[in-house]
Amino acid sequence: MSDPVERMVNLALYLASTHTPRTAEDCRAAGLGYPEDQDDAAFIRMFERDKDALRAGGLVIEVVDAGESDAYRVDPDATYARPVDLTDAERSVLRAVATAFVDDPAFPFGDELLSAVSKLGTSGTGGPLASADLGRTAPEGQGIHARAIAEAVQTRKTVTFEYTNAADQTRVRSVDPYGVFFRDGSWYLVGRDRDADAVRTYAIPRMRDIDVNPSRPRTPDFERPADFDIRKAERLPFQYGGEPFPATVRFLPETAWRIDRLARGHGDSQTLPDGSAVWTVEANDARRLASWIVDEGPGLYAVEPDSVVEELVAGLKRVAASHE
Amino acid sequence: MNRRPDTATRAGRLLALIPMLKKGETIALSELAAAVGCEPAQVAADLSTLSMCGVPPFTPYDMIDLMIDGDSVTVYAEAPGIDRPLRLTLGEARALGAALDAAGYEDTAPLRERLRETASSTVSLDELEHTVRASAGPGGMAETYATLAAAADTHEKVHIHYFTGSTGNVSDRTVHPWALVNRLGVWYLVALCEAVHEERVFRLDRIFDARPTGESFEPPSLVPIEVTPDTDSLPVATVRFAAGARLPDGEAWPGATFETASDGTTLAAVPYQTESWIARRVMAYLGDAEVIAPPELRAAVRQAAIDALKPIQ
Repeated sequence: MSDPVERMVNLALYLASTHTPRTAEDCRAAGLGYPEDQDDAAFIRMFERDKDALRAGGLVIEVVDAGESDAYRVDPDATYARPVDLTDAERSVLRAVATAFVDDPAFPFGDELLSAVSKLGTSGTGGPLASADLGRTAPEGQGIHARAIAEAVQTRKTVTFEYTNAADQTRVRSVDPYGVFFRDGSWYLVGRDRDADAVRTYAIPRMRDIDVNPSRPRTPDFERPADFDIRKAERLPFQYGGEPFPATVRFLPETAWRIDRLARGHGDSQTLPDGSAVWTVEANDARRLASWIVDEGPGLYAVEPDSVVEELVAGLKRVAASHE
Repeated sequence: MNRRPDTATRAGRLLALIPMLKKGETIALSELAAAVGCEPAQVAADLSTLSMCGVPPFTPYDMIDLMIDGDSVTVYAEAPGIDRPLRLTLGEARALGAALDAAGYEDTAPLRERLRETASSTVSLDELEHTVRASAGPGGMAETYATLAAAADTHEKVHIHYFTGSTGNVSDRTVHPWALVNRLGVWYLVALCEAVHEERVFRLDRIFDARPTGESFEPPSLVPIEVTPDTDSLPVATVRFAAGARLPDGEAWPGATFETASDGTTLAAVPYQTESWIARRVMAYLGDAEVIAPPELRAAVRQAAIDALKPIQ
């Protein structure tokens, strides 16, 4: 038998249909499709690759000490999913996001998304019409690079890349990757820059020659801080720059519902008796916050601190004066 | 959703197919293809491969026994050992989480809570949620997304409460949801708006409320999925940016072209659909951008700035 897919499926069925753990030699002798004239070393390599592929497909293969060698069987509790009750609307959601993202090269996990919705039985033709075009620049490269870095995040392997910053300065960076996030057409890496010994954010489209440390692939290069949370690392446009300060923005009653949409998990909001709402959020740049308020308006304005209010008032006065 | 898979991916698809093959059932290939996201011809090839698989001693009773006849498959003996769907792997859980992030489903959303149960016990979902975020979807949008996805799926009209960003006006409209389109992380609804009987594009994060009406509509045979306007037919404004001002990109200002002078200022030719849209974009520069022409747009920007000052002063 030469078809590797047949061999893998046979191995999956063999390990899943027995309560008795099977050794590698058992599998070799069982006629699953391993070449009979194969030497021991080649067989072990092929057997390990097959197990890795089945594990990647979702089979949880237990390793049992069988004396002189290990033995293997499928752990049914860890392997099989219980059926999930989904509403029709939830099925439509899953089909919409899958239809949109599976074929978008800037979405780094298209193959796995297709596989996930297949397992949930919600994939396929039909469903709502949807499409996605996530990448502002070089979508295919972004998707590939973001995928490689997301893997390095999980395996905790250091990545090295050439990086060109906004000032057009290029240098090689070596970073322990803590997480990745997407915003406004680009994927970003957050991690500890080994040279600067500081946590930094890097735009993945600005990277070249990305290299994930290939040595000892199963051994992590670093430990991620226990309190790291990518949701905190992703910031709003006015949360870059100087020292942080608290700012309060008021939303008029007819736009108070927009706080949830605009806050993206940052800050706290409170609804007032008149139906308006105040949002208190950390900011680092008064002018950029003032600009953001205008851009997202109308229906919201700065309350405090004075620096933001002054930026807003002075800026709008400049606009009115320059357009007389 | 059509991809040419590698060997491991194809093996994974076969493992996903196996639990669907129940003894005594005849299943349309199109149904299986829909379930695993590929073409019926690919499913036929997969089933042909599966019919060669089994367990020792590989007698006819130990094999997956099925017969493909035209557009359907009949199962005579199901696979030994695997009779239920497999849990999601780390990569699959990560992909699903990222896709739902993008649709506005927060980690604590009921749908995500239920899907957590499908992930392998070897996957740390907490770790995934703390390290990967496709945060294209603003908070509070999931319910709107679900309503519109379902309506687009079943061709049901929807009543929406829509906030127009440039003017602040809120309008109630009945729309025919045709398609959901994600552009640079922002979701748009492409729909027929009954009020004007024309195609319109709505940002999902500006839809306050969406309710199905119970009425159905006939979708067009060809749905446009372009969400940026055709700028060739629009009026063009001339805008000057101060030296050092951060220039907008072509995605945020569709069709705009820029020319920087030796003194560092930049002149831009900016197509615009409405005065209110470009006035707000220029105002957000807080004095670092000025409309040069046409004169009526200059007046509109001035008035918009005066109006914006009123609630503050």
